[in-house]
Amino acid sequence: MTKPGRMIEIVKLNKWFGQFHVLKDVSLSVREGEKFIICGPSGSGKSTLIRCINQLETHQEGSIVVDGVEVDPKGRNHREVRSRIGMVFQNFNLFPHLSVLDNCTLTPRLGLEMPKAEAEEIAMTHLSRVGIAEQALKYPLQLSGGQQQRVAIARALCVKPKIMLFDEPTSALDPEMIKEVLDVMVELAEGGMTMICVTHEMGFARQVADKVIFMDQGEIVETNEPNAFFSNPRFDRSADFLSHIL
Amino acid sequence: MPNDLQVFVPAPDRPAPLDSTGVVGWIRKNLFQDIPNTLMTILGAYILFVVVGAVLNWAIFNAVWSANSRRECLDAVGRSGACWPGVFVWFENLIYGLYPKDQVWRINVGFLALVLWMVPLWMPRVVSKVAIGLSAVALYPLLASYFFLGGDKGIIWTALIAAGLTGLIWVWATALSETFKGKTIGVLVVDSLGQADADEARQRLTRRLATLAVFIVACLIISSLSFVEVRTRFWGGLFLTLVISGIGITFSLPAGIMLALGRRSNLPVIAMFSTLFIELFRSVPLVTILFMFNTMLPLFMPAGTEVNQLLRAIVAVCLFAAAYMAEIIRGGLQAIPKGQYEAADALGLTYWQTTSQVVLPQALKIMIPAIVGNFIGLFKDTTLVSIIGLFDLMNMARAIGEDTNWLGLFIEPFFVVSMIYFVFCFAMSSYSIGLEKKLAAGRDR
Repeated sequence: MTKPGRMIEIVKLNKWFGQFHVLKDVSLSVREGEKFIICGPSGSGKSTLIRCINQLETHQEGSIVVDGVEVDPKGRNHREVRSRIGMVFQNFNLFPHLSVLDNCTLTPRLGLEMPKAEAEEIAMTHLSRVGIAEQALKYPLQLSGGQQQRVAIARALCVKPKIMLFDEPTSALDPEMIKEVLDVMVELAEGGMTMICVTHEMGFARQVADKVIFMDQGEIVETNEPNAFFSNPRFDRSADFLSHIL
Repeated sequence: MPNDLQVFVPAPDRPAPLDSTGVVGWIRKNLFQDIPNTLMTILGAYILFVVVGAVLNWAIFNAVWSANSRRECLDAVGRSGACWPGVFVWFENLIYGLYPKDQVWRINVGFLALVLWMVPLWMPRVVSKVAIGLSAVALYPLLASYFFLGGDKGIIWTALIAAGLTGLIWVWATALSETFKGKTIGVLVVDSLGQADADEARQRLTRRLATLAVFIVACLIISSLSFVEVRTRFWGGLFLTLVISGIGITFSLPAGIMLALGRRSNLPVIAMFSTLFIELFRSVPLVTILFMFNTMLPLFMPAGTEVNQLLRAIVAVCLFAAAYMAEIIRGGLQAIPKGQYEAADALGLTYWQTTSQVVLPQALKIMIPAIVGNFIGLFKDTTLVSIIGLFDLMNMARAIGEDTNWLGLFIEPFFVVSMIYFVFCFAMSSYSIGLEKKLAAGRDR
């Protein structure tokens, strides 16, 4: 079992895609309310790591404990784990055939068997929080990318998650729209949500992160405070990476 | 902000050039743009004129409209005009087959019931359209089969037919309640009995009792009816075609969905069974399947059981159609991006929730043209049942030319039959285009 206050505890996680060893002995511990930023070159296993946490990918070795629940890699308790985690994707993955409001109420109504009126009320609360309330009856493809991503955040929040995972949430956005999404994420972070975010938005990382994790070749190279990481990285590999993105 | 910045003002929109819009613009641009284009237009108009003229001459201006035999027609106009009296004499058989003439009204009432069942689907204020559609699939056949088949009915059969009638009554109660009162029939019943404030369990009980009351009335109505049995070998014509293709179409969609999902399943036994079924029935011509079911199925059945010939044909058509539909649906399922599944997974939806709420609505929408194309194909393919001796619309038309009075009269009946087929297929096609537009409205980029 986890120690009190531990939201996510990953110990010696290993994963292979066929023969390719994507995650090598990754260990990570996130306390309640902490914000972790994961960065690293493409193919370093960042996305795979956070996708293992809610079991969009299954791992082969090691253990993941989410909010006291040991994740079963064979999938017997996926729903129990996923009900604690909200996830936001690079490509939004909104359901295009449902209105913004229905996107948000779908899981509460089906999965949590909430009455429609209550689900809509909660959805509207979260939609106003991300500033999309007046677009609730539109369909996702009628919105801009930034608006769609904000809807995706609201949709994830409607499941009342204890942890939010962000998989490069701003990478598919036009520069003008990145800020509106980051603003929502900052607000969420200030509200005390536990967050793990794969992103290269270093300004955002400096602003909200408790820890920055740098990954390369499937391993965690460096875990550091954001200011220390950016101004004074401990490893040559991190410094090299920073010199390319800053 | 510094004051010396220039202010950007977008240029105002100008109207499009006149000759590129409107009817005249369209004609100029599309028909008479340059010399080759003009020549093609004139040539096309000439061909159209010749073909349409020839058909009209044959079918109307030179046609014989009253005669007692084909000989009289030939003596009057030879082969330059159509001989319609043969088709008129046989017309009732083309539509109803050899169904007893004094019982034909049952077919009409049966199809009227179907129309009544479907009308609420086009009523704009009705919201329970999915439920109405499902009830038509599940309950209408019970009602229709009694009207078409007739004969003795035991208690169970009576109850099933009454369930069909209850369904029809529910559909119209729902349609009227939602159109005029703006609430579902369940809510309306509960409200009008003064139980609007009662708790959930009590309201549910009230709704069930109301349904039961309607069901009992339906039972009384049904048990007071007694129709003579009309065996399926007297069924024929357009009626038979509609029965076979109607059942085939209705069965093929849900069965195709299940097979398509089965083929993509992670459970190897289900995946293998679905794949085998699909590949087997897709790789064999429908004619062969019809023959197999017609001649070989009885051999495998225990001695003494007899399976109705029409039923054998229907089963064959259904299985064949389901296999084709499965592959079409699978195509639609594959077009759904992986991200949709991941988002649904991440939200904690179950497999069936994901499939029914996220994947299928999108997949079916993309596949509407292909699905309706398949329906149209199936509707026309039912002509093949004539090969095992069923008198569908096509075979009935052929029978006219074998009547001693109208010996050799084939072109006219086939002309009429193709018109009938065209009307039905064109209606399906137009409906699908309308449906696509409706579903696409406001949801696409």
